[in-house]
Amino acid sequence: MDWGRLRFFLGEVLTNFTRNAGMQFTAIGTVAVTIVLLGAFLYVRETIQTFGTGVLSQIEIAVYLKDDVDDAKAKELASKLAGDSRVASASYVPKREGLKRMKAVLKDIDTSLLTTNPLPNMYKVRVKDPDSVQNVAAWIAKDPRVAKADYAADTVQKLLKTAAVLGRAGIALIALLSISAAIVIANTIRLTVFARRREIAIMQLVGATNMYIRMPFIAEGMLAGVLGAAVAIGVLALAEHQVVPKLAATLAFVTFRVNESTLSVELLAVGAAVGLIASWVSVGRYLRT
Amino acid sequence: MIRLHGVSLVYPNGTRALDDVDLEIEKGSFVFLVGHSGTGKSSLLKLLYREELPSGGEVVVDGVRVDTLRRGKVPKLRRNIGVVFQDFKLLSHKTVWENVAFALQVTGTRTRDVMRMVPRALDLVGLSHKSRMFPSELSGGEQQRAAIARALVGNPKLLLCDEPTGNLDPSNTTEIMELLQRINLKGTTVVVATHNQAVVDRMRRRVVRLEHGRILHDDERGYYFRGLGQTAVLPG
Repeated sequence: MDWGRLRFFLGEVLTNFTRNAGMQFTAIGTVAVTIVLLGAFLYVRETIQTFGTGVLSQIEIAVYLKDDVDDAKAKELASKLAGDSRVASASYVPKREGLKRMKAVLKDIDTSLLTTNPLPNMYKVRVKDPDSVQNVAAWIAKDPRVAKADYAADTVQKLLKTAAVLGRAGIALIALLSISAAIVIANTIRLTVFARRREIAIMQLVGATNMYIRMPFIAEGMLAGVLGAAVAIGVLALAEHQVVPKLAATLAFVTFRVNESTLSVELLAVGAAVGLIASWVSVGRYLRT
Repeated sequence: MIRLHGVSLVYPNGTRALDDVDLEIEKGSFVFLVGHSGTGKSSLLKLLYREELPSGGEVVVDGVRVDTLRRGKVPKLRRNIGVVFQDFKLLSHKTVWENVAFALQVTGTRTRDVMRMVPRALDLVGLSHKSRMFPSELSGGEQQRAAIARALVGNPKLLLCDEPTGNLDPSNTTEIMELLQRINLKGTTVVVATHNQAVVDRMRRRVVRLEHGRILHDDERGYYFRGLGQTAVLPG
């Protein structure tokens, strides 16, 4: 390893970076703003998704059995349900148990007038994948022993739809934000390329390869991207620290459990990638003479 | 060293800079390219280090077909050619030493070699004692010597000078021309484009005179004008 060469290269990158401090500041700022938006969006999306998955995983199919199905026959159904790969769990609630639970829930209401148990035997079924709730419910309903298989159809539909829309909108939004950040970096790099056109001309004159000429600019672009992302992560961390406790107090049913370190790494990678692509393109255009 | 055969160069705006030029320059020779500004001197030099591509004809430099050279091979060609300009093209934020070293560093030369080659080039042009100064602290002649050091530091076989004394006073001009002659004596082929009549007439080297993109005359030990002080006569 030739440290002199490395030092020369890093020195070039650093002097140019600081020499064009004003422009770099603009680029870093824009990347930061973009990535704050991106990060906030990803944060909200992940929170909603966690929330949605949480709700969906609690969705139960209430399987009411016909009156003539006794406990023994009900047990046969249990093995059928447990045998299906989509089913996570199936717990049997005999009618006595059901009544006991109902009485516990309705403890303020006098249930002593009930002379017979009006409840059917039932199964509570949970599925592994929330997407399959509908199919599993339909499949269970076809069984001759089953009177009715019920689930919160509306809620499930809406949640699934929201998740899908968020996913698609997310990709579009991420693309848009990344493109706008890339354009700003590309412009900044183009300005720094322009500011250094004499150096580039001399490098080309003395026989530096295009790859060599390109390298410092790409390092510069990536540095701007990464610094922008770092600033954004700082802002987001601060915002999370300030805002989330208040939100959590108001929206008690939502859990704010976002993996911050993964998100940070992702944002840094986005910053670096945006800087890389932008500077590559804008220097390339200049070198193609 | 250099061979041009039927070379023409037409710029996109329609200007015909060179028109069917044939020229051969021997290894180790010293040649003046003379003519008024806009007669194609610079264009001819640009063809040699492939800053421009000819519209027609062949350009050969040191056995390499420059006109058909792939873009990726251009850096290697240029490492074999030193170029010096009227406006020096030094980097103002770098010292003389750094300016000269820059040419080596950006072509991936090992630091050990840079440390060895830069002092030698500075010594050749007589700037060793000013290596830590910035271009703005130097006289015009010294700046041009720094530029020559940068052009020569990689030991090119060919040195191209485009109006090297255009910005210099007579005494600096003389110094620079003496330096170029010394460099030529060490075996480097030197081509100087100039419209400085005094310099050309004093040196009495080969003179190739261009006019309207054509070679008007080509004399060994010639003068700026064919026949001292006379107006040239169109050949043939």
